[in-house]
Amino acid sequence: MTKILGILAALMIFSAGNTWAQDDISPSRKQAIDSLALEKVRDLSKYISIVGNKDTPWSEANRVIERTLELFADGALMGVSSLSKEEVNYYGVREYLERLMALNYDKVNISWYNIQYISDLERQPDGRYVGVITIYQRFEGTTEEGLRYVDVTKKDVTVYVERKTTQISGRIIGFWDVLLGDIRVSETKPG
Amino acid sequence: MPRYVKLLMLMIIFPMLAPAQAFNSMLGDESILNAQTKQVNQFFRRFNGEENAKGDRYYPADKDYRSTELRRKYLNVLFDQQNASMTDPMRDSFTRDVLNSAAPQFLNFHQGQWFAEVTTRFLYQGKDENVTLYMKLEQEKLGYKWVISKVYFRHFHLMFNTNQESGSHFLHPLSHELDFMNLVRVFKEKEYVDLYTEKEYQPDFLTLFLYEFKKGNLKFKNVSNVKFHFFQIDGWYFELSEFNRPGGNSGWLISGLMEIDENQKDVLLKYIYHE
Repeated sequence: MTKILGILAALMIFSAGNTWAQDDISPSRKQAIDSLALEKVRDLSKYISIVGNKDTPWSEANRVIERTLELFADGALMGVSSLSKEEVNYYGVREYLERLMALNYDKVNISWYNIQYISDLERQPDGRYVGVITIYQRFEGTTEEGLRYVDVTKKDVTVYVERKTTQISGRIIGFWDVLLGDIRVSETKPG
Repeated sequence: MPRYVKLLMLMIIFPMLAPAQAFNSMLGDESILNAQTKQVNQFFRRFNGEENAKGDRYYPADKDYRSTELRRKYLNVLFDQQNASMTDPMRDSFTRDVLNSAAPQFLNFHQGQWFAEVTTRFLYQGKDENVTLYMKLEQEKLGYKWVISKVYFRHFHLMFNTNQESGSHFLHPLSHELDFMNLVRVFKEKEYVDLYTEKEYQPDFLTLFLYEFKKGNLKFKNVSNVKFHFFQIDGWYFELSEFNRPGGNSGWLISGLMEIDENQKDVLLKYIYHE
């Protein structure tokens, strides 16, 4: 169902705004694309919460991981850094989620701040557009012994926007499609 | 028409009606996160007065787009407040120049005159080493991409002799009569070999870096720091760095400011590039 809604939304973006050249993105179209991109980021945040939740059955978590991968372009990476180390660890999206699933806490609570920042879209040499959406996540893990770990991470999510075409009743219809790309995950000190 | 399609159409037609409260906000005061300059893109927009307090973009048709008052408000919070070297008079002078009503100045993402200094970690001869990559935006077809324009690696700099005086290290002017047999002396000592090059010779560290990487002698580990250098504002240079710390004065902020003329600009560039 989510996929159908995504395609429908993408197709409708085609009709939003009509005075700009075919490959330009007008302000109204940009708003529509932002909504679609934000929708995908919301799906991602929802899936992360489900995968991280210790009450989620193993089979369900795996199903959600597959759904999450559908949001991403091939080869997308998560670059994870913490305040305590200088290093950045790079994981594939599947590996990142599997690690999240395997975290050794008795209870995990993942929540999201009500702040999101959406960048402008910039065109790449291959004709696709790229943007970044920034969101903030609060992670709270409690061990069986009652030890609590809390962190707040900033997630900068790459968003690729591509113009595609599809055929409906013999007519070629253009639409804008959105895929997620690399994500930079950094621990923050919001204070 | 199914209900969810109708709902979706409404959301597309009236994007403002879409549920913006996507993320469950049970986390208290978020005004600090809101105040942070969360992306370099946001720094550009705030500097230029191109977004509202919530981060929604203004377009040329909007009343407050690039308004002086809005810019003044934003510029005040775009400096690292903990940096005492940027004095109030200096900031005021910069702000006056930027907001000059006769010729206000704006930052332009595509205009050049700004570049990134990216500190990376590479494995070299069994040790973690810093390699600094200088990156700039370059146009290709209708789009843009970041490219590496220069590189600084301590080991390369140590390897090349910067002493211009050749002393006793030269090939005498009749060496050609002996089929340059005295080259044997040139290549005897690694230390002095650069003294036999023409005076305009400058080592190309980027080529050297690529060569070492392709030979497998340098292995990428990660990026450890990123900052930006801006020369777009007439008569000024500023540095942009990310501050990950509590409070609203955090995120991407001006971390260094200097009033400079054209000659000083070249000196400063050489300093930044370690030349």
